[in-house]
Amino acid sequence: MSSFKKKLLLGLCTASAIAMTSQSASAANWLMLQGTERPGQAPRAKVWGFAQVQYQKDNSDACLTGCGGAATGYVSPKLIGPNLDNQEAFNVNRARIGVRGTGMPLDSKVNYFVLAEFGNNGITAGNDGKILSDASITLNHIEGARMRLGLFKTPGFEEGLQAIHVFDYINFTSVGNQLMLERHALSTDTNQGATQTPNVGANRYSRSVGAFRDVGVQIFDTFGDDKHEIAYAVMYGNGNGLNYSDNDDNKDIYAYLSSEWIFGGKGPRREGLKVFAWYQDGKRTNAYNTAQETDRTRSGLGIKYLQKPFRVTAEYLTGEGMIFQGQHRPQHLYNQEKADGYYVDLGWYIPGTNWEIDARYDSYTRGENHPNTPLTGDGDSTFDTITIGTQYHFNKKTRINIEYADRDFKSDAPVVNANLEGVGGRFAVQVTHIF
Amino acid sequence: MLKKYGKVMLSVLMSGLLLVSVSTANAADQSLADTKIVLQISDPNPFKQTLVLNVANNLIKHYGQDQVDIEIVAFGPGLRLLFADNANKGRVSSLAGSGVKFSACANTQKAMTKLLGHPPVLHDKAVTVGAGIVRIVDLTSKGYLLVKP
Repeated sequence: MSSFKKKLLLGLCTASAIAMTSQSASAANWLMLQGTERPGQAPRAKVWGFAQVQYQKDNSDACLTGCGGAATGYVSPKLIGPNLDNQEAFNVNRARIGVRGTGMPLDSKVNYFVLAEFGNNGITAGNDGKILSDASITLNHIEGARMRLGLFKTPGFEEGLQAIHVFDYINFTSVGNQLMLERHALSTDTNQGATQTPNVGANRYSRSVGAFRDVGVQIFDTFGDDKHEIAYAVMYGNGNGLNYSDNDDNKDIYAYLSSEWIFGGKGPRREGLKVFAWYQDGKRTNAYNTAQETDRTRSGLGIKYLQKPFRVTAEYLTGEGMIFQGQHRPQHLYNQEKADGYYVDLGWYIPGTNWEIDARYDSYTRGENHPNTPLTGDGDSTFDTITIGTQYHFNKKTRINIEYADRDFKSDAPVVNANLEGVGGRFAVQVTHIF
Repeated sequence: MLKKYGKVMLSVLMSGLLLVSVSTANAADQSLADTKIVLQISDPNPFKQTLVLNVANNLIKHYGQDQVDIEIVAFGPGLRLLFADNANKGRVSSLAGSGVKFSACANTQKAMTKLLGHPPVLHDKAVTVGAGIVRIVDLTSKGYLLVKP
Protein backbone atom coordinates (compact mmCIF):
# COMPACT_ATOMS: atom_id res chain seq x y z
CA MET A 1 0.00 0.00 0.00
CA SER A 2 1.42 3.33 -1.03
CA SER A 3 2.05 6.08 1.46
CA PHE A 4 -0.70 8.14 -0.11
CA LYS A 5 -3.19 5.30 0.37
CA LYS A 6 -2.13 4.91 4.00
CA LYS A 7 -2.62 8.60 4.68
CA LEU A 8 -6.00 8.58 3.01
CA LEU A 9 -7.08 5.51 4.97
CA LEU A 10 -5.90 7.16 8.18
CA GLY A 11 -7.90 10.23 7.28
CA LEU A 12 -11.02 8.21 6.60
CA CYS A 13 -10.63 6.38 9.89
CA THR A 14 -10.36 9.73 11.63
CA ALA A 15 -13.52 10.87 9.90
CA SER A 16 -15.29 7.71 11.01
CA ALA A 17 -14.22 8.32 14.59
CA ILE A 18 -15.53 11.85 14.40
CA ALA A 19 -18.76 10.48 12.99
CA MET A 20 -19.36 8.68 16.25
CA THR A 21 -19.04 11.83 18.29
CA SER A 22 -20.30 14.58 16.05
CA GLN A 23 -23.72 15.53 14.86
CA SER A 24 -24.45 15.65 11.20
CA ALA A 25 -24.46 19.19 9.89
CA SER A 26 -26.67 20.48 7.14
CA ALA A 27 -23.49 21.38 5.31
CA ALA A 28 -23.04 22.84 1.89
CA ASN A 29 -20.29 21.06 0.05
CA TRP A 30 -20.36 19.24 -3.29
CA LEU A 31 -21.11 15.86 -1.75
CA MET A 32 -24.02 17.27 0.22
CA LEU A 33 -25.21 19.78 -2.35
CA GLN A 34 -25.53 17.18 -5.06
CA GLY A 35 -26.46 14.16 -2.99
CA THR A 36 -28.87 15.41 -0.36
CA GLU A 37 -31.81 17.74 0.18
CA ARG A 38 -32.59 20.09 3.03
CA PRO A 39 -34.50 18.04 5.64
CA GLY A 40 -38.15 18.95 6.00
CA GLN A 41 -37.94 21.34 3.07
CA ALA A 42 -37.37 19.32 -0.09
CA PRO A 43 -40.16 19.54 -2.64
CA ARG A 44 -41.58 16.49 -4.32
CA ALA A 45 -40.05 17.63 -7.63
CA LYS A 46 -37.97 20.72 -8.15
CA VAL A 47 -37.37 21.34 -11.83
CA TRP A 48 -34.11 23.12 -12.57
CA GLY A 49 -31.41 23.35 -15.17
CA PHE A 50 -29.12 25.63 -17.09
CA ALA A 51 -28.01 26.50 -20.60
CA GLN A 52 -24.57 27.53 -21.82
CA VAL A 53 -24.08 29.05 -25.24
CA GLN A 54 -20.56 29.76 -26.37
CA TYR A 55 -18.33 31.00 -29.13
CA GLN A 56 -14.73 29.86 -29.46
CA LYS A 57 -11.96 30.75 -31.86
CA ASP A 58 -8.70 28.85 -32.00
CA ASN A 59 -5.73 30.78 -33.33
CA SER A 60 -3.47 27.77 -33.88
CA ASP A 61 -1.44 27.40 -37.01
CA ALA A 62 -2.11 24.12 -38.79
CA CYS A 63 1.49 24.18 -40.07
CA LEU A 64 0.40 22.87 -43.47
CA THR A 65 3.73 23.90 -44.87
CA GLY A 66 5.61 23.41 -41.66
CA CYS A 67 6.22 25.66 -38.67
CA GLY A 68 9.95 25.59 -38.74
CA GLY A 69 9.88 21.83 -39.12
CA ALA A 70 8.02 19.23 -41.14
CA ALA A 71 4.60 20.05 -42.54
CA THR A 72 1.79 18.58 -40.42
CA GLY A 73 -1.83 19.69 -40.37
CA TYR A 74 -4.88 19.91 -38.15
CA VAL A 75 -4.86 17.90 -34.93
CA SER A 76 -7.30 17.96 -32.01
CA PRO A 77 -5.62 20.70 -29.88
CA LYS A 78 -6.01 23.06 -32.84
CA LEU A 79 -9.73 22.42 -33.29
CA ILE A 80 -12.88 23.28 -31.37
CA GLY A 81 -14.57 20.40 -29.57
CA PRO A 82 -16.50 18.30 -29.32
CA ASN A 83 -16.72 17.86 -33.11
CA LEU A 84 -13.12 18.95 -33.72
CA ASP A 85 -13.84 19.93 -37.30
CA ASN A 86 -13.32 23.70 -37.27
CA GLN A 87 -11.32 26.45 -35.60
CA GLU A 88 -14.20 28.81 -34.96
CA ALA A 89 -17.68 27.91 -33.82
CA PHE A 90 -20.81 28.88 -31.97
CA ASN A 91 -22.08 26.04 -29.87
CA VAL A 92 -24.85 25.22 -27.43
CA ASN A 93 -22.34 23.57 -25.18
CA ARG A 94 -24.65 22.56 -22.37
CA ALA A 95 -28.42 22.48 -22.05
CA ARG A 96 -29.40 20.51 -19.01
CA ILE A 97 -32.71 20.02 -17.33
CA GLY A 98 -33.23 18.07 -14.18
CA VAL A 99 -35.57 17.20 -11.37
CA ARG A 100 -34.63 16.66 -7.76
CA GLY A 101 -36.37 16.39 -4.42
CA THR A 102 -37.99 13.71 -2.36
CA GLY A 103 -40.77 11.52 -3.71
CA MET A 104 -42.47 11.56 -0.33
CA PRO A 105 -41.92 15.00 1.21
CA LEU A 106 -42.88 13.75 4.67
CA ASP A 107 -39.86 11.48 4.70
CA SER A 108 -36.63 13.45 4.52
CA LYS A 109 -34.58 10.29 4.61
CA VAL A 110 -34.92 9.55 0.92
CA ASN A 111 -34.17 11.92 -1.95
CA TYR A 112 -33.37 11.70 -5.65
CA PHE A 113 -31.51 13.59 -8.38
CA VAL A 114 -32.07 13.25 -12.13
CA LEU A 115 -30.38 15.37 -14.80
CA ALA A 116 -30.41 15.11 -18.60
CA GLU A 117 -28.00 16.74 -21.07
CA PHE A 118 -29.18 18.05 -24.45
CA GLY A 119 -26.18 20.23 -25.32
CA ASN A 120 -23.39 19.49 -27.78
CA ASN A 121 -20.32 18.32 -25.87
CA GLY A 122 -18.25 15.28 -25.04
CA ILE A 123 -21.10 13.83 -23.00
CA THR A 124 -23.61 13.78 -25.82
CA ALA A 125 -21.13 13.01 -28.60
CA GLY A 126 -22.04 9.54 -29.78
CA ASN A 127 -25.34 9.61 -27.94
CA ASP A 128 -27.65 11.25 -30.45
CA GLY A 129 -27.33 14.62 -28.74
CA LYS A 130 -29.00 13.66 -25.49
CA ILE A 131 -28.11 11.55 -22.49
CA LEU A 132 -29.06 11.09 -18.87
CA SER A 133 -26.03 12.36 -16.98
CA ASP A 134 -27.29 11.79 -13.44
CA ALA A 135 -29.87 9.48 -11.92
CA SER A 136 -29.41 8.73 -8.24
CA ILE A 137 -31.25 7.93 -5.04
CA THR A 138 -29.88 8.81 -1.62
CA LEU A 139 -30.84 6.97 1.56
CA ASN A 140 -30.17 9.05 4.67
CA HIS A 141 -31.21 6.51 7.28
CA ILE A 142 -27.86 5.95 8.96
CA GLU A 143 -26.33 8.98 10.59
CA GLY A 144 -22.75 9.28 9.45
CA ALA A 145 -23.22 6.87 6.55
CA ARG A 146 -25.61 8.19 3.95
CA MET A 147 -25.88 5.98 0.90
CA ARG A 148 -26.16 7.28 -2.67
CA LEU A 149 -26.89 4.81 -5.44
CA GLY A 150 -27.02 5.21 -9.20
CA LEU A 151 -25.28 7.42 -11.74
CA PHE A 152 -23.62 10.54 -10.34
CA LYS A 153 -20.36 12.45 -10.06
CA THR A 154 -17.59 10.47 -8.45
CA PRO A 155 -15.83 11.91 -5.41
CA GLY A 156 -12.62 13.33 -6.78
CA PHE A 157 -10.84 16.41 -8.01
CA GLU A 158 -12.39 19.81 -7.43
CA GLU A 159 -12.73 20.90 -11.04
CA GLY A 160 -14.75 17.81 -11.89
CA LEU A 161 -16.72 17.43 -8.69
CA GLN A 162 -17.95 20.99 -8.56
CA ALA A 163 -21.20 22.00 -10.22
CA ILE A 164 -20.28 22.89 -13.78
CA HIS A 165 -22.72 25.79 -14.01
CA VAL A 166 -20.70 27.69 -11.40
CA PHE A 167 -17.33 26.79 -12.94
CA ASP A 168 -15.31 30.00 -13.24
CA TYR A 169 -13.87 29.15 -16.67
CA ILE A 170 -15.16 27.92 -20.00
CA ASN A 171 -12.59 25.23 -20.74
CA PHE A 172 -11.12 22.68 -18.39
CA THR A 173 -7.47 22.63 -17.46
CA SER A 174 -5.26 20.26 -19.46
CA VAL A 175 -4.79 18.06 -16.42
CA GLY A 176 -8.53 17.95 -15.88
CA ASN A 177 -9.32 17.33 -19.52
CA GLN A 178 -6.64 14.74 -20.16
CA LEU A 179 -6.02 13.00 -16.87
CA MET A 180 -9.47 13.03 -15.27
CA LEU A 181 -12.03 13.28 -18.07
CA GLU A 182 -11.97 9.66 -19.03
CA ARG A 183 -12.46 8.52 -22.61
CA HIS A 184 -13.99 5.17 -23.45
CA ALA A 185 -13.00 3.57 -26.73
CA LEU A 186 -14.79 1.07 -28.91
CA SER A 187 -12.92 -1.60 -30.84
CA THR A 188 -13.98 0.10 -34.07
CA ASP A 189 -12.40 3.44 -33.11
CA THR A 190 -9.22 4.10 -35.06
CA ASN A 191 -6.43 6.65 -34.91
CA GLN A 192 -6.09 9.50 -37.30
CA GLY A 193 -3.08 11.64 -38.10
CA ALA A 194 -2.97 15.32 -38.84
CA THR A 195 -5.30 16.33 -41.66
CA GLN A 196 -4.93 18.91 -44.39
CA THR A 197 -8.38 20.36 -43.81
CA PRO A 198 -10.05 20.93 -40.45
CA ASN A 199 -13.44 19.54 -41.40
CA VAL A 200 -12.34 15.91 -41.45
CA GLY A 201 -13.10 15.70 -37.75
CA ALA A 202 -10.44 14.71 -35.27
CA ASN A 203 -12.76 13.18 -32.68
CA ARG A 204 -12.10 9.49 -33.15
CA TYR A 205 -13.94 8.29 -30.03
CA SER A 206 -17.43 6.97 -30.64
CA ARG A 207 -18.47 6.81 -27.00
CA SER A 208 -19.14 9.74 -24.72
CA VAL A 209 -16.59 10.93 -22.21
CA GLY A 210 -16.93 9.71 -18.63
CA ALA A 211 -18.00 13.17 -17.43
CA PHE A 212 -16.41 12.49 -14.02
CA ARG A 213 -19.31 10.16 -13.34
CA ASP A 214 -19.89 6.50 -12.64
CA VAL A 215 -22.66 4.11 -11.68
CA GLY A 216 -22.29 2.61 -8.24
CA VAL A 217 -22.87 3.10 -4.55
CA GLN A 218 -21.35 5.82 -2.39
CA ILE A 219 -21.25 6.05 1.40
CA PHE A 220 -20.73 9.61 2.55
CA ASP A 221 -21.57 12.27 5.09
CA THR A 222 -20.46 15.53 6.63
CA PHE A 223 -19.76 16.27 10.26
CA GLY A 224 -19.23 19.45 12.16
CA ASP A 225 -20.98 22.74 12.66
CA ASP A 226 -21.32 26.08 10.91
CA LYS A 227 -17.67 26.90 11.56
CA HIS A 228 -15.88 23.75 10.49
CA GLU A 229 -16.84 20.54 8.82
CA ILE A 230 -15.30 17.32 7.65
CA ALA A 231 -16.74 15.44 4.71
CA TYR A 232 -15.90 11.98 3.46
CA ALA A 233 -17.03 9.66 0.70
CA VAL A 234 -16.14 6.18 -0.40
CA MET A 235 -17.59 4.78 -3.59
CA TYR A 236 -17.66 1.45 -5.37
CA GLY A 237 -18.60 1.67 -9.03
CA ASN A 238 -18.53 0.15 -12.48
CA GLY A 239 -15.76 2.35 -13.82
CA ASN A 240 -17.65 2.59 -17.08
CA GLY A 241 -18.57 6.26 -17.23
CA LEU A 242 -22.11 7.21 -18.13
CA ASN A 243 -23.09 3.72 -19.18
CA TYR A 244 -25.79 2.25 -16.99
CA SER A 245 -24.17 -1.17 -16.84
CA ASP A 246 -20.63 -2.48 -16.69
CA ASN A 247 -18.56 -3.87 -19.55
CA ASP A 248 -16.36 -6.11 -17.42
CA ASP A 249 -16.03 -7.59 -13.93
CA ASN A 250 -13.62 -4.93 -12.74
CA LYS A 251 -14.89 -2.35 -10.30
CA ASP A 252 -13.49 1.04 -9.32
CA ILE A 253 -13.00 2.35 -5.81
CA TYR A 254 -13.09 6.03 -4.94
CA ALA A 255 -12.20 7.75 -1.68
CA TYR A 256 -12.50 11.41 -0.75
CA LEU A 257 -11.85 13.45 2.38
CA SER A 258 -12.14 17.17 2.96
CA SER A 259 -11.87 19.55 5.86
CA GLU A 260 -13.32 23.01 5.57
CA TRP A 261 -13.29 26.08 7.75
CA ILE A 262 -16.45 27.98 6.92
CA PHE A 263 -16.44 31.76 6.79
CA GLY A 264 -20.07 32.27 5.80
CA GLY A 265 -22.70 32.02 3.12
CA LYS A 266 -24.18 28.88 1.70
CA GLY A 267 -24.54 26.90 -1.49
CA PRO A 268 -22.01 26.56 -4.30
CA ARG A 269 -20.29 29.84 -3.50
CA ARG A 270 -20.04 29.38 0.24
CA GLU A 271 -16.97 31.12 1.58
CA GLY A 272 -14.37 29.08 3.39
CA LEU A 273 -11.01 27.38 3.33
CA LYS A 274 -11.13 23.77 2.20
CA VAL A 275 -8.36 21.21 1.99
CA PHE A 276 -9.07 17.90 0.34
CA ALA A 277 -7.50 14.66 -0.86
CA TRP A 278 -8.86 11.86 -3.00
CA TYR A 279 -7.94 8.55 -4.58
CA GLN A 280 -9.39 6.45 -7.39
CA ASP A 281 -8.38 2.98 -8.54
CA GLY A 282 -9.70 0.58 -11.15
CA LYS A 283 -9.00 -1.57 -14.18
CA ARG A 284 -10.14 -1.29 -17.78
CA THR A 285 -10.59 -4.05 -20.31
CA ASN A 286 -8.83 -3.22 -23.57
CA ALA A 287 -11.46 -2.61 -26.21
CA TYR A 288 -9.06 -3.81 -28.90
CA ASN A 289 -7.88 -6.88 -27.00
CA THR A 290 -10.40 -8.05 -24.43
CA ALA A 291 -7.90 -10.46 -22.90
CA GLN A 292 -5.82 -7.52 -21.72
CA GLU A 293 -6.55 -5.39 -18.68
CA THR A 294 -5.05 -2.03 -17.82
CA ASP A 295 -4.81 -0.40 -14.41
CA ARG A 296 -6.16 3.08 -13.97
CA THR A 297 -5.10 4.96 -10.82
CA ARG A 298 -5.65 8.60 -10.01
CA SER A 299 -5.01 10.64 -6.86
CA GLY A 300 -4.72 14.22 -5.81
CA LEU A 301 -4.85 16.83 -3.13
CA GLY A 302 -5.77 20.45 -3.13
CA ILE A 303 -6.90 23.57 -1.38
CA LYS A 304 -9.61 26.08 -2.06
CA TYR A 305 -9.94 29.48 -0.43
CA LEU A 306 -12.86 31.76 -1.06
CA GLN A 307 -13.55 34.93 0.83
CA LYS A 308 -14.66 37.76 -1.35
CA PRO A 309 -13.10 39.58 -3.00
CA PHE A 310 -10.48 36.81 -3.35
CA ARG A 311 -10.48 33.21 -4.49
CA VAL A 312 -7.53 30.82 -4.68
CA THR A 313 -7.66 27.21 -5.76
CA ALA A 314 -4.71 24.89 -6.22
CA GLU A 315 -4.61 21.17 -6.83
CA TYR A 316 -1.99 18.59 -7.68
CA LEU A 317 -3.00 15.42 -9.49
CA THR A 318 -1.17 12.30 -10.51
CA GLY A 319 -2.16 9.19 -12.40
CA GLU A 320 -0.96 5.96 -13.91
CA GLY A 321 -2.47 3.87 -16.65
CA MET A 322 -5.09 4.79 -19.25
CA ILE A 323 -3.28 8.03 -19.97
CA PHE A 324 -5.19 9.87 -22.68
CA GLN A 325 -3.12 10.39 -25.82
CA GLY A 326 -5.34 12.76 -27.74
CA GLN A 327 -8.84 12.72 -29.13
CA HIS A 328 -7.45 11.51 -32.46
CA ARG A 329 -5.59 8.50 -30.98
CA PRO A 330 -8.03 6.11 -29.23
CA GLN A 331 -5.86 3.12 -30.10
CA HIS A 332 -3.14 4.48 -27.80
CA LEU A 333 -5.47 4.78 -24.80
CA TYR A 334 -4.72 1.46 -23.15
CA ASN A 335 -1.29 2.07 -21.67
CA GLN A 336 0.59 2.09 -18.39
CA GLU A 337 2.04 5.56 -18.86
CA LYS A 338 2.34 7.96 -15.96
CA ALA A 339 1.21 11.56 -15.79
CA ASP A 340 0.90 14.38 -13.34
CA GLY A 341 -0.10 18.00 -13.28
CA TYR A 342 -1.44 20.88 -11.28
CA TYR A 343 -3.35 24.08 -11.57
CA VAL A 344 -3.49 27.34 -9.65
CA ASP A 345 -6.54 29.54 -10.01
CA LEU A 346 -6.88 33.10 -8.74
CA GLY A 347 -10.06 35.11 -8.69
CA TRP A 348 -10.78 38.68 -7.75
CA TYR A 349 -14.33 39.95 -7.36
CA ILE A 350 -14.07 43.65 -8.12
CA PRO A 351 -15.71 45.30 -5.09
CA GLY A 352 -18.87 47.23 -5.76
CA THR A 353 -19.31 45.78 -9.25
CA ASN A 354 -20.65 42.64 -10.89
CA TRP A 355 -17.29 41.90 -12.46
CA GLU A 356 -14.67 39.42 -11.49
CA ILE A 357 -11.23 38.77 -12.88
CA ASP A 358 -9.88 35.24 -13.20
CA ALA A 359 -6.40 33.94 -13.89
CA ARG A 360 -5.32 30.34 -14.04
CA TYR A 361 -2.12 28.51 -14.73
CA ASP A 362 -2.17 24.79 -15.40
CA SER A 363 0.56 22.38 -16.28
CA TYR A 364 0.31 18.74 -17.31
CA THR A 365 2.98 16.23 -18.23
CA ARG A 366 2.19 12.82 -19.63
CA GLY A 367 4.19 9.89 -20.85
CA GLU A 368 3.82 9.21 -24.55
CA ASN A 369 2.38 5.93 -25.70
CA HIS A 370 3.71 6.58 -29.14
CA PRO A 371 5.67 3.67 -30.64
CA ASN A 372 9.27 4.23 -29.65
CA THR A 373 11.34 3.87 -32.76
CA PRO A 374 14.47 5.70 -33.79
CA LEU A 375 12.24 7.73 -36.06
CA THR A 376 9.54 8.69 -33.58
CA GLY A 377 11.59 8.85 -30.41
CA ASP A 378 10.29 8.65 -26.87
CA GLY A 379 9.62 10.99 -23.96
CA ASP A 380 7.06 13.11 -22.24
CA SER A 381 4.65 15.70 -23.54
CA THR A 382 4.01 18.87 -21.57
CA PHE A 383 0.96 21.11 -21.77
CA ASP A 384 1.22 24.51 -20.09
CA THR A 385 -1.60 27.00 -20.27
CA ILE A 386 -2.22 30.47 -18.88
CA THR A 387 -5.85 31.48 -18.96
CA ILE A 388 -6.96 35.04 -18.31
CA GLY A 389 -10.66 35.66 -18.01
CA THR A 390 -13.40 37.85 -16.72
CA GLN A 391 -16.97 37.27 -15.68
CA TYR A 392 -19.85 39.69 -15.54
CA HIS A 393 -22.85 38.66 -13.47
CA PHE A 394 -26.06 40.10 -14.94
CA ASN A 395 -27.82 38.64 -11.93
CA LYS A 396 -27.35 35.65 -9.65
CA LYS A 397 -28.49 33.28 -12.37
CA THR A 398 -26.98 34.78 -15.48
CA ARG A 399 -23.39 35.61 -16.34
CA ILE A 400 -20.99 35.94 -19.21
CA ASN A 401 -17.47 34.46 -19.25
CA ILE A 402 -14.80 35.84 -21.53
CA GLU A 403 -11.42 34.16 -21.54
CA TYR A 404 -8.24 33.80 -23.50
CA ALA A 405 -5.93 30.83 -23.11
CA ASP A 406 -2.28 31.08 -24.07
CA ARG A 407 -1.00 27.54 -24.64
CA ASP A 408 2.49 26.16 -24.76
CA PHE A 409 2.40 22.51 -25.78
CA LYS A 410 5.48 20.48 -26.61
CA SER A 411 6.80 16.92 -26.60
CA ASP A 412 10.08 15.07 -26.42
CA ALA A 413 8.70 12.65 -29.01
CA PRO A 414 9.49 14.30 -32.36
CA VAL A 415 6.36 13.11 -34.18
CA VAL A 416 4.09 14.32 -31.39
CA ASN A 417 6.04 17.53 -31.06
CA ALA A 418 5.61 18.23 -34.75
CA ASN A 419 1.85 17.99 -34.32
CA LEU A 420 1.96 20.33 -31.33
CA GLU A 421 3.94 22.94 -33.24
CA GLY A 422 1.69 25.85 -34.02
CA VAL A 423 -0.76 25.33 -31.17
CA GLY A 424 -1.70 28.87 -30.24
CA GLY A 425 -4.11 30.88 -28.17
CA ARG A 426 -7.80 30.24 -27.87
CA PHE A 427 -10.50 32.86 -27.32
CA ALA A 428 -13.84 31.90 -25.80
CA VAL A 429 -17.05 33.62 -24.74
CA GLN A 430 -19.88 31.89 -22.95
CA VAL A 431 -23.22 32.95 -21.52
CA THR A 432 -24.69 30.85 -18.73
CA HIS A 433 -28.26 31.03 -17.52
CA ILE A 434 -29.48 28.92 -14.63
CA PHE A 435 -33.17 28.37 -14.01
CA MET B 1 -64.38 11.05 59.72
CA LEU B 2 -60.75 11.17 58.79
CA LYS B 3 -61.53 9.35 55.54
CA LYS B 4 -64.26 11.86 54.69
CA TYR B 5 -61.91 14.74 55.56
CA GLY B 6 -59.31 13.23 53.26
CA LYS B 7 -61.76 13.03 50.36
CA VAL B 8 -62.69 16.68 50.82
CA MET B 9 -59.04 17.69 50.89
CA LEU B 10 -58.36 15.69 47.73
CA SER B 11 -61.31 17.35 45.98
CA VAL B 12 -60.11 20.79 46.99
CA LEU B 13 -56.60 19.97 45.83
CA MET B 14 -57.78 18.65 42.47
CA SER B 15 -60.03 21.66 41.96
CA GLY B 16 -57.15 23.91 42.79
CA LEU B 17 -54.89 22.18 40.31
CA LEU B 18 -57.60 22.40 37.65
CA LEU B 19 -58.04 26.10 38.29
CA VAL B 20 -54.32 26.70 38.12
CA SER B 21 -54.18 24.71 34.91
CA VAL B 22 -57.07 26.61 33.30
CA SER B 23 -55.74 29.96 34.41
CA THR B 24 -52.30 29.07 32.99
CA ALA B 25 -53.91 28.09 29.70
CA ASN B 26 -55.91 31.29 29.66
CA ALA B 27 -52.79 33.27 30.46
CA ALA B 28 -51.22 31.82 27.34
CA ASP B 29 -54.07 33.18 25.27
CA GLN B 30 -54.43 36.43 27.16
CA SER B 31 -51.68 38.67 26.04
CA LEU B 32 -50.73 42.06 27.32
CA ALA B 33 -48.95 42.91 24.09
CA ASP B 34 -50.42 45.62 21.91
CA THR B 35 -49.99 43.65 18.71
CA LYS B 36 -50.99 40.04 18.27
CA ILE B 37 -50.30 38.13 15.11
CA VAL B 38 -51.04 34.57 14.11
CA LEU B 39 -49.00 33.33 11.13
CA GLN B 40 -50.37 30.46 9.09
CA ILE B 41 -48.08 27.95 7.38
CA SER B 42 -49.95 25.29 5.45
CA ASP B 43 -48.14 25.40 2.14
CA PRO B 44 -45.86 22.63 0.79
CA ASN B 45 -43.53 25.19 -0.80
CA PRO B 46 -40.29 25.16 1.22
CA PHE B 47 -39.75 28.83 0.40
CA LYS B 48 -42.87 29.59 2.45
CA GLN B 49 -41.20 28.05 5.48
CA THR B 50 -38.35 30.48 5.23
CA LEU B 51 -40.76 33.32 4.51
CA VAL B 52 -42.93 32.73 7.57
CA LEU B 53 -39.86 32.65 9.80
CA ASN B 54 -38.56 35.83 8.19
CA VAL B 55 -41.90 37.55 8.79
CA ALA B 56 -41.89 36.54 12.45
CA ASN B 57 -38.35 37.81 12.79
CA ASN B 58 -39.21 41.11 11.13
CA LEU B 59 -42.24 41.61 13.38
CA ILE B 60 -40.12 41.15 16.49
CA LYS B 61 -37.52 43.53 15.13
CA HIS B 62 -40.14 46.18 14.39
CA TYR B 63 -42.36 45.99 17.45
CA GLY B 64 -39.95 44.62 20.02
CA GLN B 65 -40.11 41.25 21.67
CA ASP B 66 -42.34 42.42 24.53
CA GLN B 67 -44.74 44.40 22.37
CA VAL B 68 -45.89 41.71 19.98
CA ASP B 69 -47.31 38.25 20.45
CA ILE B 70 -46.66 35.90 17.58
CA GLU B 71 -47.96 32.41 17.15
CA ILE B 72 -47.13 30.31 14.10
CA VAL B 73 -49.77 27.69 13.43
CA ALA B 74 -48.65 24.87 11.15
CA PHE B 75 -51.01 22.41 9.54
CA GLY B 76 -51.30 20.39 6.37
CA PRO B 77 -48.07 20.22 4.36
CA GLY B 78 -46.86 23.24 6.32
CA LEU B 79 -46.39 21.08 9.40
CA ARG B 80 -43.02 20.05 7.95
CA LEU B 81 -41.69 23.34 9.30
CA LEU B 82 -42.01 21.87 12.78
CA PHE B 83 -40.36 18.54 12.03
CA ALA B 84 -37.48 17.90 14.40
CA ASP B 85 -34.98 17.51 11.55
CA ASN B 86 -36.16 20.48 9.52
CA ALA B 87 -33.29 22.46 8.04
CA ASN B 88 -34.64 25.53 9.86
CA LYS B 89 -34.74 23.89 13.27
CA GLY B 90 -32.14 26.33 14.55
CA ARG B 91 -34.23 29.32 13.52
CA VAL B 92 -37.32 27.79 15.12
CA SER B 93 -35.42 27.41 18.40
CA SER B 94 -34.12 30.94 18.16
CA LEU B 95 -37.56 32.45 17.51
CA ALA B 96 -39.05 30.37 20.32
CA GLY B 97 -36.42 31.92 22.53
CA SER B 98 -37.74 35.31 21.48
CA GLY B 99 -41.24 34.37 22.57
CA VAL B 100 -42.73 33.09 19.31
CA LYS B 101 -45.12 30.19 19.87
CA PHE B 102 -45.32 27.27 17.48
CA SER B 103 -48.51 25.26 17.25
CA ALA B 104 -48.75 21.94 15.48
CA CYS B 105 -52.07 20.62 14.21
CA ALA B 106 -53.05 17.30 15.81
CA ASN B 107 -55.26 16.33 12.87
CA THR B 108 -52.37 16.74 10.48
CA GLN B 109 -50.16 14.67 12.75
CA LYS B 110 -52.73 11.86 12.71
CA ALA B 111 -52.91 11.92 8.93
CA MET B 112 -49.13 11.95 8.63
CA THR B 113 -48.86 9.08 11.09
CA LYS B 114 -50.95 6.96 8.74
CA LEU B 115 -48.72 7.85 5.80
CA LEU B 116 -45.43 7.45 7.63
CA GLY B 117 -46.33 4.46 9.74
CA HIS B 118 -45.22 6.35 12.82
CA PRO B 119 -45.94 9.79 14.32
CA PRO B 120 -43.82 12.59 12.90
CA VAL B 121 -41.08 13.67 15.27
CA LEU B 122 -41.67 17.32 16.05
CA HIS B 123 -39.42 20.12 17.25
CA ASP B 124 -39.34 20.32 21.02
CA LYS B 125 -40.72 23.86 20.89
CA ALA B 126 -43.82 22.77 18.98
CA VAL B 127 -47.03 22.53 21.00
CA THR B 128 -49.77 20.29 19.69
CA VAL B 129 -53.19 21.91 19.27
CA GLY B 130 -56.42 20.20 18.34
CA ALA B 131 -56.84 21.47 14.83
CA GLY B 132 -54.69 24.09 13.23
CA ILE B 133 -57.56 25.94 11.57
CA VAL B 134 -59.61 25.94 14.79
CA ARG B 135 -56.63 27.33 16.65
CA ILE B 136 -56.43 30.16 14.13
CA VAL B 137 -60.17 30.91 14.44
CA ASP B 138 -59.86 30.95 18.24
CA LEU B 139 -56.89 33.30 18.14
CA THR B 140 -58.52 35.68 15.66
CA SER B 141 -61.59 35.83 17.87
CA LYS B 142 -59.27 36.95 20.66
CA GLY B 143 -57.91 39.83 18.66
CA TYR B 144 -55.06 38.18 16.76
CA LEU B 145 -54.49 39.34 13.23
CA LEU B 146 -54.16 36.45 10.78
CA VAL B 147 -51.33 36.70 8.27
CA LYS B 148 -50.53 34.03 5.71
CA PRO B 149 -47.21 34.91 4.09
